[in-house]
Amino acid sequence: MFKIISDGACDFSKDEVKKYNIDIVPFYISFDGLNYLKEGIDISRKDFFNRLVSDKTVFPKTAQPNPQDYVDIFIPYLDKGVDILCITVSSKVSGSNNSAKMAVDMLADDYPDRSIVLLDTLNGSVAQGLILKEIIKMRDAGLSLDKTTQIAENIINSAKQYFTVETLEYLKRGGRVGPTTALVGSILGIRPILQVEDGMISQLDSVRGKSKTLKLIEEAMVEALKDDVNNISIAIGHVFREEDANALKANIGAGLNIQIPSPLVEMGAVIGAHAGPGALVFAYCKKYEEV
Amino acid sequence: MANIGIWYIIAQILGVITICFEFTSYQIKDKTKYFLITGIGSFFWMTMFVAIGIATGMSTQLSLILAATYSTIRNLVFFRVFSKNTPESKEAGLNFLLVMIVVAIVAGTATVLNAPAEVRWLHIIGLFTALAFVIGQYLPGVHYVRITVIFYAIIVLLTQTPLNILYGDFRWNIMGILIEAAKILSVIIFYIRYGSEPKTAQLKFAKP
Repeated sequence: MFKIISDGACDFSKDEVKKYNIDIVPFYISFDGLNYLKEGIDISRKDFFNRLVSDKTVFPKTAQPNPQDYVDIFIPYLDKGVDILCITVSSKVSGSNNSAKMAVDMLADDYPDRSIVLLDTLNGSVAQGLILKEIIKMRDAGLSLDKTTQIAENIINSAKQYFTVETLEYLKRGGRVGPTTALVGSILGIRPILQVEDGMISQLDSVRGKSKTLKLIEEAMVEALKDDVNNISIAIGHVFREEDANALKANIGAGLNIQIPSPLVEMGAVIGAHAGPGALVFAYCKKYEEV
Repeated sequence: MANIGIWYIIAQILGVITICFEFTSYQIKDKTKYFLITGIGSFFWMTMFVAIGIATGMSTQLSLILAATYSTIRNLVFFRVFSKNTPESKEAGLNFLLVMIVVAIVAGTATVLNAPAEVRWLHIIGLFTALAFVIGQYLPGVHYVRITVIFYAIIVLLTQTPLNILYGDFRWNIMGILIEAAKILSVIIFYIRYGSEPKTAQLKFAKP
């Protein structure tokens, strides 16, 4: 048995963390650049997004956990003789993986007989959560750390994530789109469809209008997954758009002739700060049994 | 006189090349490739006017050369923007689009004001269709650019007929009409092909 630890970008709820017996290393959030709050501990997701919406003058900064945060979580398990599998958000969008690496290096000499496996999910948010759930299933099925790591690497390669945002305002505030793009895009009602590719966020397409965007996403999901329906895990996330997310979940499930079992994911601050309220996220990966 | 004849023939050849590129561009769904092909088409369109200018006198062709140069630069800049496909390139592309819209409004307004009263309506419609086309080119998807080019091409086509009495002794400009007709025909053929294609998702997500 090994311990599973993830950084906070997996967007697990507190209940899920408890239910699945994992530990989370939280990200930091700051609205003023001076005071940093631990996500999920010092500030809830709901409070974070409420503040994001109400105060249009600031853009919250998120900061990765520092190496000591990882060390503090790793040590109690290492002291008990438990090996660790730690997963992080893509190293190409955050320094979280690097912090974890530094923590592993710091502890290597003190715990020479223990293994700490570090996996870069090359993803984040809903997709990271899906990968995490597959790893949890492998742990619960009694797979060894080595076998789990080997399969998890293949799951990571199979994971895909797409998202769309309701407004370009938050992408603009975060510097991900320019002011002209945000202005013209808003006037024309253009919604970008973004993807996580090779660990980085890029724009896949842009579509005019919400209903058309959602229809195209449903079609694209069905087309991409129709041949793998029984081999994949699917999850849908949102920021304050439970109704839209539920409708999409039902429509995609109907298109694939399945019931999508995963509950909706409420996105956290790491990706959500850039996507903003109204964002919808779609992720899928192969089930560990199929890899 | 023989020299004029050669340049006139060269202009016709350049016009045919323009038709080939413009026709091809509206058969292409991929925006990046569309801008490259229509950009090359615009370049030959511009050289056609230069050749006519050499043959018949630059003064009558100057505004057309400027308009074609404007189209060429716009199309090739958009090609660069779409092929790079980064937030920075898109921002630069949009800023460029806004500049292009301002240039089109200024040039179009000047054309309207200088047009004889009898055909001013044609140039006013031309200004709006040109603006719609420039914006339609930039909008996502395959439809906006094709819908807007139809209206724009019809108006440009009409300006190549005796309906437009801007130059007094204006005659039918066959090559100009053929170039615009080629665009319209290409869009019609595109939609016939598009309608007969099996329905595939416009947006494509990767398989797991």
